[in-house]
Formats: sequence, structure tokens, C-alpha cells
Amino acid sequence: MTTKLIRQLMPQLMPQEAAQLMPQEAAQLMPQEPKSQAYIDLKPQASTPLNLMLGLLGGVALAVMIALNSELAKYGSPLLASWVAHGVGTLVALLLLGAVRLRQAALTRRNGAAPWWAYLGGLSGAFTVVLGAMTVNSALGLSASIAFIMAGQILFGLVCDSLGLFGMARRRLNWGQGASLTVMALGALVVLLAQEGA
Amino acid sequence: MLTLLLLALLNGVCIGLCRILNGRLGQASDAYYASLWNHGVGFVFLSLLLVSMPTPPIAGLLDAPLYAWLGGVVGAVFVVLNTLVILRLGATLCSLLVISGQLLSGVLFDLVVKAVNPLQLLGVIIIFVGVLAFRRMEARSNSPKQQPLHNQPLKPEKR
Repeated sequence: MTTKLIRQLMPQLMPQEAAQLMPQEAAQLMPQEPKSQAYIDLKPQASTPLNLMLGLLGGVALAVMIALNSELAKYGSPLLASWVAHGVGTLVALLLLGAVRLRQAALTRRNGAAPWWAYLGGLSGAFTVVLGAMTVNSALGLSASIAFIMAGQILFGLVCDSLGLFGMARRRLNWGQGASLTVMALGALVVLLAQEGA
Repeated sequence: MLTLLLLALLNGVCIGLCRILNGRLGQASDAYYASLWNHGVGFVFLSLLLVSMPTPPIAGLLDAPLYAWLGGVVGAVFVVLNTLVILRLGATLCSLLVISGQLLSGVLFDLVVKAVNPLQLLGVIIIFVGVLAFRRMEARSNSPKQQPLHNQPLKPEKR
């Protein structure tokens, strides 16, 4: 009887508890109303084959993009090539956004409130081009640069995940997850070093 | 040398920050909206940089083959993909997957063009072992006590 009651009460109890713990994060994680079909769900166990494949596919896309950009950079400079890529990317993203919203008939819907700093991702992304040009053509060399750039990404990701910074869901890794991530990083290092040697 | 090393690390932090901020924006709206803002803001910033710096003439780019201009198309798709995935998988796993995908496509390219170093294949296998292990470990760790906040049904329930 009591267990039944608790089970019934649980859904109502748990969100309140969470809201008391972290009012801001909880509000971000639980939008009050469904906004669109493109709603991103934040299930805790999300390493489904589809999501993992999408992540890997993103990496393939990034590699293709970098190859195309460096081809363009031969005819100008890395900065110029990145400028063109961002311009073309803006147009393509505009077309994609328009197509998606027309199809969903959701042109009238409002975007949820995002903090001002969330709009500045492009700024640090573009700044990367400048930093990249500084390190790759220096004594550090290409593959060492790539290795440290990758290390920086992973370490920053670890900090943001474990502290729940910038609206990321807070994730505490258990030893097994930490070990799995370490294995992945080691594999990446092996490929990188082997490519350099080849 | 240490300065260069720190610059490369900072570069990685900038990339990570860029993707996480896009993820946050995608959370408020959708991934396409985040991709638009990412490229728009970056374009304005790079335009300002180009104006303030001595640069090679833009006309030189016209000699480049057409496909070289299409990096932005792939880039826009990449930001959409990354924004979709980063909120579900977390920044660490997402970064590692993207890096693995990058290296994997390098190996695939080598496979077509020239002979592949067996060490490369070994590295790829190690990466996939790590991915599979992570999936197994996550399934095991997913008990309500460990993750009180994220274990609730986050999608609003239909009534």
C-alpha cells in the first residue's frame, strides 16, 4: 500500500527535489512544454547505436570540411578560406532552417530563451582558425598540434560534463566509463602516431 | 615551446566551447538554429579580422576548383549533427567520437589511395572497443541512486 503510494507520488516528488537542488539547471533540463518535433531529449542513457553513429559521422563530415577548406586555403589564406566557409555555411544553415520549419509548419513558434552567451559559439569557433594558424606553422608541427588540440577538447569536455557547465547535463563518470574513454583516447593516439609514421 | 603547447591546448578548449555553446543554443531552439547563429557570428567576426589585417586578394579564390568552395555546406551539416548529439552524449564522449570519426576517415582515405599501416587499423579497433565498452558501462551504471537529477522522464508527459 505504502509502496504504491510512494510510486504514485514519485514523479511529482522528484522534480521538486531537483528544482531545490539546482533551480537553473533543472529548469533548463525540463522544458515546460514541447516546442517542436526537433526537440532534443536528454535521456541519461543515450549512447544508443544511432547517437554513437551520428557522432562518428560528424567526425567524418569535419574531416571532409577540413580537407575542402585547406584546398581553398591554397588559393588564399586559411583565414580567407574559413571566411568563405562561414559565409557559405550561413546560407546553407538558413536554407536548412527554413526547410525544416516550413515542413513542421512551425514558423510561428518562438524559440526558448537562451542565455546571451549561447549565441557566441561562432566567436570561439572562428577564433580557432587564428589559433590554428599560429601553432600548425610553428616549431610544434602539425601532428603534435593536432594531438594537443584534441587533448584540449577532451579535457574541457571532461570539466564541463563533470561540473555541468554551460547548460550541459551533469555527468559523473564511473570507473568503467572513464576507462572506456581512456581506451578510445589511446586508440586515437595510436592512429595519429601511425599516420605520422606512414 | 611551452607557449605553443598551451596555445594548441587553448585551441582545443575553444573548439570544445564552440560546440557546447551551440549545444546550449540548440537546447533552447533546435540544431539548425544553432548552426545558423554559429556560422553567422563566425562570419561577422572573421570579416572584421580580414578588414583589419593584411590579407591576400580575394580574387585569388576564384581560381580554386568549385568543390573547394563547398566546405561551408559540410560545415553547416556538421554543426547540426554535433548539436544534436552533444546534449545526448555529453561533451567528452562527443568530442572523442568526432575525433575518432576524423581519424577513421583519414584511415579510409589511405585505404583507397595507398597501403594502410597496420598500426592504424589496430588504433581503429582499439577506438571501437572503447566505444562498445562505454555503451556497456553506461547501461550498467544507470541506477537512480547515482544520477538522481537526470533519471527523471525529461520529456513532458502527455496528459
